Amino acid sequence: MSVLETYSHISSSPIFVSSELPDIPEMGGFVVFSGIVRNLNEGKKVTHLEYEAYAPMANEMISNILADACKKWDLLHANCIHRVGKLGISEIAVIVETGSVHRAEAYESNRYIIDRVKHEVPIWKKEFYFDGSSQWSKGCVHESH
Amino acid sequence: MDIQLLFFAAVKDHFPDLKKIEVSEGDSIVHLRKILTNTNPDSESILKVSRFAVNQSIVGDDFVLREGSVVAVLPPSSGG
Repeated sequence: MSVLETYSHISSSPIFVSSELPDIPEMGGFVVFSGIVRNLNEGKKVTHLEYEAYAPMANEMISNILADACKKWDLLHANCIHRVGKLGISEIAVIVETGSVHRAEAYESNRYIIDRVKHEVPIWKKEFYFDGSSQWSKGCVHESH
Repeated sequence: MDIQLLFFAAVKDHFPDLKKIEVSEGDSIVHLRKILTNTNPDSESILKVSRFAVNQSIVGDDFVLREGSVVAVLPPSSGG
């Protein structure tokens, strides 16, 4: 077992969308967002990606973002798992699940969670291209926010 | 006094072997930025946009370092 498996929000193993919903009788809306590795970025053909994380800090920050979402909205379920390591095209890089009594809270909170994870959490993406080159994604520059 | 350094992603390319650095009593993150930039001037642009975390909490430029602080240099995130 990888040491990363001790972190509930950071995974070195593939992530799959489950066909089973959380067993919560009050839940009327459930939203799943999947961030997927695509084969093209800014006109360059991508072969694969590598994600790196400062795992203990990233795990804690995702946990805090989920807690913040639960304070802002009346959620019955909230989870987020981010992959690290080498990912091929069409693999899931991140998954965010939210569930609530009505759909509005589930949609809004899901967007809030993925936006904060993308901008704040110490996770980085390196893109590898067909021409053999590679590049770290420039990411979100915090000074501009 | 010594502090420990952790580098990630693009910053790692500039300081591959630097795991520890000596700073003076009372030095803050601002001083550390200068020390790192002087160590490798090519790192200036990425350091300017990087956040710093001490013992896994994001800190500002005026945070004062202590003996044994574990400082992570975090370039702009790009998860998701």
